[in-house]
Amino acid sequence: MQDLKTKKNSVLSLKYLFFDFVKITAALPGLIAFRTKVVYPSETAKKKIKGGALLISNHLGKFDPAFLQFGVWYRRHHFVCGKDLMDSRGGPILRAFQCIPIDRYNVNTGDIRNIVEHLKNEELVSIFPEGKVNTGNGEVDTFKSGMVLMALKSEKPIIPVYIKPRKKIWHRLTIAIGEPVDVKALCGDRPSFAKMEEVTSLLHQREKELEALVKN
Amino acid sequence: MKRTEILEKLKDILISADSKNMELAENCTESANLYTDFGLTSVNMLFMVIAIEEDFNIRFDDVSMDSFATLGDVVSYIEGKLQ
Repeated sequence: MQDLKTKKNSVLSLKYLFFDFVKITAALPGLIAFRTKVVYPSETAKKKIKGGALLISNHLGKFDPAFLQFGVWYRRHHFVCGKDLMDSRGGPILRAFQCIPIDRYNVNTGDIRNIVEHLKNEELVSIFPEGKVNTGNGEVDTFKSGMVLMALKSEKPIIPVYIKPRKKIWHRLTIAIGEPVDVKALCGDRPSFAKMEEVTSLLHQREKELEALVKN
Repeated sequence: MKRTEILEKLKDILISADSKNMELAENCTESANLYTDFGLTSVNMLFMVIAIEEDFNIRFDDVSMDSFATLGDVVSYIEGKLQ
């Protein structure tokens, strides 16, 4: 009964009014423009993402949050966004989209606690672990390990996602969604720094596998 | 809890998290720098904070990791929280 009530409140929540309005109005133009194709490496990965989860993705440009929303259309995303961006002129829009600020240049306990809180509230938090827009040759850059800490503390899985770069604007959008990675099961309650780096490398490897899956 | 006891407990946390610096952690003093001597990153520091919170049963305020340069800084912070 309690679960049903929570779900109902969540669907009608006022704080998502702007988010839902944009999502609904952009749905048809987005479907026509992107013709999103979602691919999965396995049957397990095909299962809908339920409850709290940390979605990680490569970062090619400023439209990636919209692309991810088209990939996992049935959930509201809370994008982790640099505090510098949140404080810029576009900040009010980002806040209306329920983005979560993180200070990239001054790591602090408050930001991590805030993200963990969102995850524990069964929300979908999306983060770009490369830490910046990848302007290189398209290869996935190294990942920062903060995401492992977030997943560990919240006891929620990490789901790797790969956005295939579009060579032309009219090309179809292809997104690969991988299997959830249970960080807690891999790390235990209190892993060593080396273990956390190992899990970060594993997640990077999963991302590379998704890249290979959609490359051809 | 005395400063020396806090330092010893802190060393234990460091040793269990960072086995490659075991010798350094065992013999270090409060003046040891977390970033230059131990080579910790800000994420490592956040991990340490979580471990400290669990072991000392305290809660850190929303502090920047830059506020802790040496082991002594962390000991002072914990000491303040335990009082």
